[in-house]
Amino acid sequence: MEKAIDITDLSFSYGRQSILREVNVSFAAHRFSVLLGTNGSGKSTLFKAMTGLLSGYEGIVKIKGTPVRSLTHKQRASQIGYLPQFYQTVFPFTVEDILLTGRAAFSGFAPAKRDRALVTQVLAELGLERLRQKLFPELSGGEQQMVMIGRLLMQDPEIIILDEPTNHLDVYYQHFLMNKLKAFVEEGRTVIAIMHNPTLAYQFADDFFFMLDKMVVPAVSTAEQELEMLKAVYHTDFLHISHEGLKIVLPVGEGMLK
Amino acid sequence: MKKSIVYIICYALPVPVILISLFIGSTGQADVGTALALAYKSVFAPALSAAEAESWMMIQNIIYNVRLPRVLMTFLVGAALSVSGSVLQGIFRNPLVDSYVLGISSGAAFGAALAMTFVLIPVSLAAFAGGILAVGMSYLVARSGSGIVSIVLSGMVISGMFAAGLAIVQYLSNPYKLQAIVQWTMGNLHAASWQELQRVYGPVIAGLVVVYIYRWRLNILSLGDDAAKATGVNPGLDKWILIGCATLLTAITVAAVGMISFYGLFLPHMVRMMLGADNRKAIPASIFLGGTFLLVIDNFSRSLFAFEIPVGIFTMLLGGPFFIYLMRKNKLNWN
Repeated sequence: MEKAIDITDLSFSYGRQSILREVNVSFAAHRFSVLLGTNGSGKSTLFKAMTGLLSGYEGIVKIKGTPVRSLTHKQRASQIGYLPQFYQTVFPFTVEDILLTGRAAFSGFAPAKRDRALVTQVLAELGLERLRQKLFPELSGGEQQMVMIGRLLMQDPEIIILDEPTNHLDVYYQHFLMNKLKAFVEEGRTVIAIMHNPTLAYQFADDFFFMLDKMVVPAVSTAEQELEMLKAVYHTDFLHISHEGLKIVLPVGEGMLK
Repeated sequence: MKKSIVYIICYALPVPVILISLFIGSTGQADVGTALALAYKSVFAPALSAAEAESWMMIQNIIYNVRLPRVLMTFLVGAALSVSGSVLQGIFRNPLVDSYVLGISSGAAFGAALAMTFVLIPVSLAAFAGGILAVGMSYLVARSGSGIVSIVLSGMVISGMFAAGLAIVQYLSNPYKLQAIVQWTMGNLHAASWQELQRVYGPVIAGLVVVYIYRWRLNILSLGDDAAKATGVNPGLDKWILIGCATLLTAITVAAVGMISFYGLFLPHMVRMMLGADNRKAIPASIFLGGTFLLVIDNFSRSLFAFEIPVGIFTMLLGGPFFIYLMRKNKLNWN
């Protein structure tokens, strides 16, 4: 198995509070991996370590065999595209302005002509050509998220890391985005995402990981064990439903399952 | 607004405004009519009468030695303040800040007053040191909170502390110096001279050039630290270079003409309304419109009444209501 990201003995704490404890995990290249876990379980911290935004941790994070700390900003930008959980801009930038910032590591003090051509290409790939001159703060949440994904594609990274990409999206955009992520993997990229919706994740992703007790545990193979794992992570019962070859995982409320 | 009209406002308007400003004064001397008539006569009818020759000399003197340096100074100060406002708004991702709100002006004024009273180091240098101290403190205080309001509040607190420091310096200084300091804190352009201009233009142009070079990087910074890092940019260095420039621009103008508050707050908004947020267009427009618009305000401040109103008071009167308007506009994200 070719490893896109390989983490050994990663520990991190904020002051006295331990966030991650000896995490050992690797994410396969050219796969769509999803990390599931509850709020505050350390998922975002782990992702920040993976993208080189976190410092002060113990252990080693390797991107395709090279420690992330020894990569320059520019090298990192061409390997990894990262969609942070929070971003906001109060200024009326156009979608084109936002996309061009994705070229920051490569184009120095001004975007080049080919960057503009790349904007056209990325917008076409995402089917968002009509948004090019629109003002970013006036777009819907789903459109904004797609633009930020486009910004990440401007870097043309091999590995795409997303922190809760479907948050605040309506059902249409949730599926639109998941389909795009799946298409990225088919193009040969690697996608790793934190998600909060197991049902959605199980419909689209290839590999599953769970955040449990400050550690990352890979999914187990059989269906029953998987349901137990989900219950251990979310303290909620889960159900498997099969419908015309489609396997759906659903959370069910306490006491509903007899 | 149509693009061509916007570009005319930003880049063609400075020329007529500068020319008109040369013929406006609080004394009513050297108005356009007399000046042109005498200029015409001196060229085509070489024999001016003695009285005419004398008033022609005086007009030339007023325009060249009094008004021209003042007009150029005003233009530079306006450009410096509006660019420093654009930079600070972008870096703090906050449309409510400028060098005054963040305490840079008060810090610089305190430093400058200290240097004026006790003559330890050059006034501009002391102003710059005070400004850097103030913005550093605002930044650190705001970091413990979060969001758009905490930076404004911490700026206010820091600004208040430096204003208190300035009051102490005023209290300690002798009556003669006190009057000079009080006049200067209100923001006065009437003292502009060629010597003063010589001290100002170098650092101001240097600051403007660096910001102009960094204008696209400012777009990246204004999306936030994590978003900048995600694209492979280390925001720390860019940020401090730009904050350093904004502080330099403010401190130099404060040392030269005193505090002109809120100008850096509303001018970037005017530019954004006309040209959008992209700093590749907004920064050059801020330089020229910033210079031109302050000239317009200054022309009013010296011709509206029989006496001259300090321009800092004028900008405060314009900027205060504008600040309230921005606060009430629901589009602001308060978190």
